[in-house]
Amino acid sequence: MDMKKDKKISFFQITWCLCVLVVTCAICTQSGYAQTSQIFRNYSSVVPGKIPENQDAISAGKKIYEKHCYYCHGIKGDGNGSDALRLNPKPRNFTRNEYKIRSTLLGELPTDEDLFRIISSGIEGTAMPFWNSLTINERWQVVYYIKTFNKEFENSKNPESSSVANVIPESPESIKIGSELFKDAKCVNCHGEDGRADGKITTTLEGVWDLPYRARNLTKSWLFKGGHTSSDIHRTLTTGFNESPMGSYAEYLSHEDRWHLAHYVKSISKTMDTDVVLLSYIVETDLPTGPDDPIWESISSIEIPLAGQIIAKPRLWMPSVNSIQVKSFFSDNYIVFLLEWDDKTNEQNETYSDAVAIQFPTVIPESSEKPYFAMGGSGKGVTIWQWRAYDEVQELAKKELGQVDDSVTATDGGSSVDSDEESSDDEGEVAPDKIEEASESEQTEGVVEEARPLFTNFAKMREMNAKGFKNVSVQPSKSQLTKSLGVWKNGKWKVMVTSPIVTNEKKLDIQFEDGKLIPYALAVWDGSNQEIGGLKSISSWYYLNLEKVIPNSVYFYVIIAIIIGTSIQFWVIGRVRRFPPKVNEE
Amino acid sequence: MRKKKHSYSMIWAIFSILIVFGIIKYASPYAFMILLGKDHTMPTPSTLMLWYMILGVLGALVYVSTSDLKWANFLSFMLPGEDDRTKKLLQKIIVLALPLLLGWFVYSGTVPGTASPVELRIQHPTLLQKYENMENPFAHVSEELKEKYTEEGKHLYQQNCRPCHGSKADGNGPFANSFRLRPINFTDPGTIGTVVESFVFWRIMEGGPGLPDGSTPWDSAMPSWEDTLTDEQVWKIIMGEYATAGVVPRQREEAE
Repeated sequence: MDMKKDKKISFFQITWCLCVLVVTCAICTQSGYAQTSQIFRNYSSVVPGKIPENQDAISAGKKIYEKHCYYCHGIKGDGNGSDALRLNPKPRNFTRNEYKIRSTLLGELPTDEDLFRIISSGIEGTAMPFWNSLTINERWQVVYYIKTFNKEFENSKNPESSSVANVIPESPESIKIGSELFKDAKCVNCHGEDGRADGKITTTLEGVWDLPYRARNLTKSWLFKGGHTSSDIHRTLTTGFNESPMGSYAEYLSHEDRWHLAHYVKSISKTMDTDVVLLSYIVETDLPTGPDDPIWESISSIEIPLAGQIIAKPRLWMPSVNSIQVKSFFSDNYIVFLLEWDDKTNEQNETYSDAVAIQFPTVIPESSEKPYFAMGGSGKGVTIWQWRAYDEVQELAKKELGQVDDSVTATDGGSSVDSDEESSDDEGEVAPDKIEEASESEQTEGVVEEARPLFTNFAKMREMNAKGFKNVSVQPSKSQLTKSLGVWKNGKWKVMVTSPIVTNEKKLDIQFEDGKLIPYALAVWDGSNQEIGGLKSISSWYYLNLEKVIPNSVYFYVIIAIIIGTSIQFWVIGRVRRFPPKVNEE
Repeated sequence: MRKKKHSYSMIWAIFSILIVFGIIKYASPYAFMILLGKDHTMPTPSTLMLWYMILGVLGALVYVSTSDLKWANFLSFMLPGEDDRTKKLLQKIIVLALPLLLGWFVYSGTVPGTASPVELRIQHPTLLQKYENMENPFAHVSEELKEKYTEEGKHLYQQNCRPCHGSKADGNGPFANSFRLRPINFTDPGTIGTVVESFVFWRIMEGGPGLPDGSTPWDSAMPSWEDTLTDEQVWKIIMGEYATAGVVPRQREEAE
C-alpha cells in the first residue's frame, strides 16, 4: 500500500517538475537584445580630499602633467600640444584666464575645486577625458601645477564661489517665464530660435569671421559643458564663460529669472534616444507626402551618434555633425525614411554642399556577416543613396521650368546629377575615370514606381554601388529610383527619402523584405565645414526591421497552448483530488 | 477537530521563485552597477538568467519534497478550499494565470518582427604568417633612444588613435560612442597585454579590412593605416601605446 503511494507521489513530482521547468525556460529565453554601448559622462560636483598646495605637490604635478596632459595642452601650458591641430574645441590655454566652467564671477579665476571637477569629470563630446586613472592626490597635484602657468593665480587668493542657493523648483509656469526670457535676454541671437546654435551671431562669428566661437546646441543635453542639470545651467548663466561671447547674466537677469531660464533650457534639451534596431512601421492608408507631413509625428525616431570618418584618407578629425535621427514607414510599394540632423547653416554651392547618405548591403545578408561598414568590401557590395542639397535645388528648379519631368529623366541622362559633377562630388578620392556606370543592369520595362504619381515634387537621389571606397559606381540613370526632399529650418535638416520596396535590378538595388534585420549605415556632410567626399561623419551598421503583420496562425498556436495548459492543469488537480496526498502520521 | 487544515506551501514556493526572478532581473543590474563602480546598469545575460531560474525552481522543488509531509502539504493546495476564502481566491488566480502565462510565452515566441541581431563574441584572429617573426626594430636600441622613441610614439598615438581609443588608452575617445563595437580598452589586461608586439603591428597596419574571414563580429572600425603611417611610425606608436596604457606586451617564448 505504502509502496504504491510513494510511486504515485514520485510520478507527480516528476510531471510537476517538468511543467515548471518548461515554463521557466520559456520565461528566461525571452530577452537578450543587442545593446548600444554609448557612455556619456556627467559633470560631477563632488570634490574629495583636498591636499595642501606646496612645492612638493607642484613638482609631483609637473611630472604627471608631462606624462599625460602636455600632448594636448602643450609643455608650456599654452594649449599648443602636438595633438591640438586635430582638436575642436581647442585644448585650454592655461597661461590665460580663459577658463569656462567655473563657480566664480565672470573674469575671475576658477577655484581649485572647479579645476579639480573638470579633471575628474572630463568634458563630454571633447577630447578631455575623465581622469579616473589618476588618484585623487595626483589630480590635486596637477591642479596646483596647472596654476603655475598663469601668474594671476599667485596674486589673487581664493576666488569666491557664487552661490546657487534659493533654488526655484521646476514648474510649467517657470518654464513659460523662461521661454519669454530666452527671447528677451537675446539668447536666440546666438543659440537660435529652437536652441540649435544657429543664431545670427554664431553663424557670423564662426562661419563668416572664422573665429573659434561656437554656441552650444541646447537640444543635446549630453554635450552640455559642465553638466546639464538646472543648477549647472544656472551656474553657467551666472558665471558666464571667460573669453567667450557667453557672458554672465548675473547683473542682467535676477536670480529667480536665471532659474526660470535654466529650467527652460533644460526643458528644450533631450537625451540621446538610441537603439540598435529601427522599426519601420507599416502604413495601411497613406505614406507621408513630405518631410513636414504631420504623420511623421506619430512615430518616434532613434538617434544615432556619428564620428568623423578616420578610416581612410582623407580623414575628418573635426566633424561638424555628431548625431542623426531616423524614422521610417513602409507600404506595399514604397519604403520612406525621415533623416533629421542639426546643421547651423543652409549655405550650399556646387563643391561644398550639405549632404546625407544611407547605405544598405546590396543583398540582405543571410548570416550575421555583413559587408564592411565603410562602403563595402571586395566580396560584398553595398548600395548607397545620396542626397545633396545643392543638386536638389538645381533639379527642382529645372523641373519648375518644365525641362525635366519624371518620365524624361530616365532618358536624358539625368543631366543635373550624373554627368558633370561626378568628379567633384561625394567620393572625392575616386578618380573620375574609375566611376563607370554599372553596366550589368538588366533591361527594365515599366518600373513599378512609375505606375503611380507619388512623390512628384521630390528630386532624384544619386544611387551608387560600392565595393570599397575606391570602387564606386553610379547606377545608370534609368535605375535611379530613390527620391528625396529636404527642408532646412531653424538649424535642422529634415530629409525625406523614398524608395520602391522591390525593384527589377536585384544586382544593384536592395530588395526590402519584412521581418528581416537589414543593416543600414548613415553618413552626413556639412558643406559649410568644407566636408566633401571622404570628409564626412559616419555611423557603423545599425539594423532596420520592417514591421511584419502578425499572421493568424500565431493566435491559433496561442489558443492551443492555453488549451493544453488548462487540460494538464485540471488533470493534475483532478488526480490530486481523487487520490489526496496522505501522510503517514507516524 | 483538526484545526490546521490548509497549507500554503505551494504559494510560498511560487512566491519565492518570483522573488528570485525579481532579484536577478531588476535588483542585480543595480547591485552590480554599484559593486563594480559602473555608471550604467549591468543587465543579467539571458542564458545566465535561465540557469539561475532553473536552479531557483529546482531549489524550491527540492525543498517542498524533502519529506512526505512537506510534499503532501505542497500538493494539498490543489484540494478544495472549502471555507477558506483566501485559498479559494489564490487557487482561482493560479488556475487562470498558468494557462495565460503559457499562452503569452507561445505568443511572444512565435510573433514575428521584434527579432534582435545576434551579437557575436569577438574572435581573436590568428596572427598571419607574414607577421609571425616580425620584430620591433627598436627592441635592442639603447635605453635612452628607447625612451625617445616611446615619447615620439605617444605623440603619434595621441594624434592618430586618441579620437577612438582615448587619451588614457581606455577606449573612451570622443568618437568611441559612435561605433557599436566599442574601440578596445588597452588598459584592460586582457587586450594588448596578451599579444606580442607584431600582432599589434598587424592590427594597426591592416585594421578591420585586413581581418581574416571568420573573425567575428565583422563590425570593426579599425582603420588600415598602411596608407598613412610608415613602419617606423607604427613601431613607435606601439611602444607609446603600451606605455600610455601601462601594460607590457607578451614576450615570445625563447626557442632553443
